[in-house]
Amino acid sequence: MSTKQVTGRRLSRRTLLAGLLIFVVIPATILLGIFVLDDRKYYFISLLIVLYTMIPFAMVFENRKPQARELIVIAVLAAIAVAGRAAFFMLPQFKPVVAIVIIAGVSLGAEAGFLVGAVAGFVSNFFFGQGPWTPWQMFCFGIIGFLAGIFFKKGLLKKTKLSLCIFGGLATLLVYGGIINIGSLMMFTSEFSWSALMTTYVSAFWFDMVHAISTVVFLFFIANPMIEKLDRIKTKYGLIEP
Amino acid sequence: MRDSFSTFHPFVNFLYFVVVLLFSMVFMHPIFQVIALISAVVYSFMLKGKKAVRFNLLYMVPFLLFMAIMNPVFNHQGVTILFYLNNGNPITKESILYGVAAACMFVTVIIWFSCYNVVMTSDKFIYIFGKILPALSLIFSMVLRFVPRYLAQIKVISNAQKCIGRDVTQGNLLARARNGITILSIMTTWALENAIETADSMKSRGYGLPGRTSFSIFRLDARDKVALLIMTGLIAMVAIGAAMGENTMRYYPSIKASAITPFSILVYIAYFALCMIPVLINMVEAMKWKSIESKN
Repeated sequence: MSTKQVTGRRLSRRTLLAGLLIFVVIPATILLGIFVLDDRKYYFISLLIVLYTMIPFAMVFENRKPQARELIVIAVLAAIAVAGRAAFFMLPQFKPVVAIVIIAGVSLGAEAGFLVGAVAGFVSNFFFGQGPWTPWQMFCFGIIGFLAGIFFKKGLLKKTKLSLCIFGGLATLLVYGGIINIGSLMMFTSEFSWSALMTTYVSAFWFDMVHAISTVVFLFFIANPMIEKLDRIKTKYGLIEP
Repeated sequence: MRDSFSTFHPFVNFLYFVVVLLFSMVFMHPIFQVIALISAVVYSFMLKGKKAVRFNLLYMVPFLLFMAIMNPVFNHQGVTILFYLNNGNPITKESILYGVAAACMFVTVIIWFSCYNVVMTSDKFIYIFGKILPALSLIFSMVLRFVPRYLAQIKVISNAQKCIGRDVTQGNLLARARNGITILSIMTTWALENAIETADSMKSRGYGLPGRTSFSIFRLDARDKVALLIMTGLIAMVAIGAAMGENTMRYYPSIKASAITPFSILVYIAYFALCMIPVLINMVEAMKWKSIESKN
């Protein structure tokens, strides 16, 4: 976190730091893992990389000096996601978090989507217990929100039920399931092999499937009213579109 | 029992947990692992008493066994072949031992995290990161507050809806689901409107101006400085030991650990002392308390 003092005077410096992080620090970490730590600390190295990928988002957000209104709308959505996760605690994997994160990404932009996802992942673990899985969940939720924001901006994702449900189901199954299973494999075996990864994917398939279906169900019911409410708040109080 | 390590400056707490978690993840040498595991277990007992005993026995021991079995099934490296599976894959001594070591590492990390959850309360976390990430840590603290508040507000709304026969407990299944969604919808509108009001209130009270204060005030006093100094010394000692290769451990193809020398024993002691800092602090405090008590 030595980059914290960079105030957002120039955008180029920030981009430079993000570039440095991606092109120098991450490969250096991987090399450190291979040569110094004898290529056995997959979990530790992957954890560091996951943390690195979140730093640019945090930096960009902090340097922008966000307004109180913007902060609080992000906090509200993250809190709804956390409360939703808490409300459905008795049904494993049947959680509305991804649905809310996607809605946030679509109506508030990619950056807000990432932040809602990452914050929801982080804070919900204050209620459920922090652990080595926290950064992975933060990253997975965050990246889905980010993708939703970008796809919406590029016109690949529409504010229609069908479009959102398809995106939500696929994103949960492929992005969340795809990444979180690598994470859990690293946690459980700390010894990477393709057959073990395949076994993890196969054994986790139904959990991921339930998660994807729950996302689709929640998006089907809450996407339109939620987007409508957010749009209304944006118009009523003149929140700037990021 | 009161945990006096928790009363130290948040920075001391945070540094301790970052360091022990890091070392627990990186060091695979059995002596280092055993030291970390014992310290984590002792501290979790101290913090949580009976609950920790149940947690460790009920979840961690089966988990450790499960992981120790999983590794040799998937991993067939190693030179000492014990027997062959039905599909022809060999089970080796090295992969079993590596599985045990990896499981031990993971269990240690989980137990450290269970201690972290008790000691590093959210206000301490926000205190540390409030300076580095002011906007994000404000969001963290707001979300932490919003969650119980929303759960309470849902009750208020659902009670109001009950009066007009539209609660989730009324009507047939379809009506119940519809009522549930209506309640959530009311909740969301309320939350967003309320949030804008909070934001305006924050702005008019000077949010974003320099000289922000924290809810909890922590002072880095002499006691914290001594603790930091001791911790830094021990960390340096362990790091030097690690750099000299005292924690080197090879599992494949054959098991080879670095030998025990007088210097390595010194490193083990330093690591043990580092991991045991909270336990030692608690014991010293308890003795102090007893001696004061007995004088009167």
